[in-house]
Amino acid sequence: MKGRVFLFLIIVFFGFSCRNSKSKTSEFVFPQSDSIPVSEVEKLSPEAIADISKNISSPVEIANLLQTLQVPFSQNYLAASIDANRQGTNFDKALKLGILGADLGYLNMYEKTGSSLDVLSSIRKIAEDIKVGQFFDFESIKRLSKNKSNLDSLLFISIDSYSKIDNYLRANNRGQLSALMIIGVWIEGQYLATQVVNVYPDKMLSDRIGEQKIILNDLLLLISPYCKRDPEFISLCKDMQAIKEKYRDIRITYTLGDPVSVEKNGGLTIKQTETSVVTMSKEQLNSVIEITKNIRDKLILNN
Amino acid sequence: MKKTIITLTILFTFGFLAFGQVTDPLISKCAINAGTNAKYLKDFRIQLGKAATRSELRYKANMSLWKNTKYRFTMCNAENSNGQLILAIKDDTNKLILSSFDKKTGKIFSFVDFECQKSGIYQISYDFTNGQQGSGVGVVSMIK
Repeated sequence: MKGRVFLFLIIVFFGFSCRNSKSKTSEFVFPQSDSIPVSEVEKLSPEAIADISKNISSPVEIANLLQTLQVPFSQNYLAASIDANRQGTNFDKALKLGILGADLGYLNMYEKTGSSLDVLSSIRKIAEDIKVGQFFDFESIKRLSKNKSNLDSLLFISIDSYSKIDNYLRANNRGQLSALMIIGVWIEGQYLATQVVNVYPDKMLSDRIGEQKIILNDLLLLISPYCKRDPEFISLCKDMQAIKEKYRDIRITYTLGDPVSVEKNGGLTIKQTETSVVTMSKEQLNSVIEITKNIRDKLILNN
Repeated sequence: MKKTIITLTILFTFGFLAFGQVTDPLISKCAINAGTNAKYLKDFRIQLGKAATRSELRYKANMSLWKNTKYRFTMCNAENSNGQLILAIKDDTNKLILSSFDKKTGKIFSFVDFECQKSGIYQISYDFTNGQQGSGVGVVSMIK
């Protein structure tokens, strides 16, 4: 009898703890705990970490959205103040590699090849400094940048170079640099989106900013193992937590629906009718814009 | 018509050369198959042996997909594959959103366009038909 009660309690416990909060409330919520215990992070397999790092959205997607909204290109959004020769620590270098990678994605999407060559030179210098220059196919990117008809190849090789760097760093016990690079890419993409929405207020763009709540926890999970490593990491983790706090009350809810499929030209098109809905006040958006700018500016000026 | 064919041939040839110089031929082929209006996002390289049992699709990865974005998932097989590469996507509640394999008719689509309306982290699964051995590439692109 005692055994059955114990078994029942285990089933009840796991039944509740495994239930996704979203399925109950049809709303995306952060996990209960404010910080992710180190033991949880340590349990993550290298495959799981790789999965998280690959899962973070590409800055190319933000740039694509800006193009769809017909937002003109602006040089002002780029991290022009980054001097590749003045990056003191590997922390700075890896973070800047990410930031510049996002800028490269933005430049590539808008086919601003002249400016992208300057960014490419900085990327090359920093990548060589942290001994990952061999994965960055500088010459091919440079060549493709000059030929505007090869945008897809350019996007591929740029993204692929970053993926190779990321894989190599993680495989060689330099996961902290990989995490920094990914954080850098995300921060710069977020900066780009928030700066643009300030000038061109658009619901689709502000929704995309609000939806970043979905991947924030994954980003925190990536850097959590290093949060006590040194003052630079302590400060970055604090900044990321501060961003998370700004997102806490932004709501993402879901409406239900079944996908609709249509066969066309030998292919299949699936239209999703289920939707995500972001509820974010002007004040909430402004505070995300402000904190993103403050943190990003601090990071790029920290030469 | 003749002009269109010549233009397409030139585009294909130069596109292939540009890609071919920087990556392996299967990815080049697959990215080109995605179409000229498709912008590359990422690729998955899938190599699987014959499955011991036929259950769920074996290769799994997560990917964030964003509302108001139209994605194209293109599947390409290496010549030495016994099976054909198929794709299924599930959302974070494990609900099947799409499959490139129609179980009723047995039809396999070489690409699937997905008009995403719900931002989230999705599970992308690949396998080869009937759990057969195979090698292939899945390319994800954005389209207008």
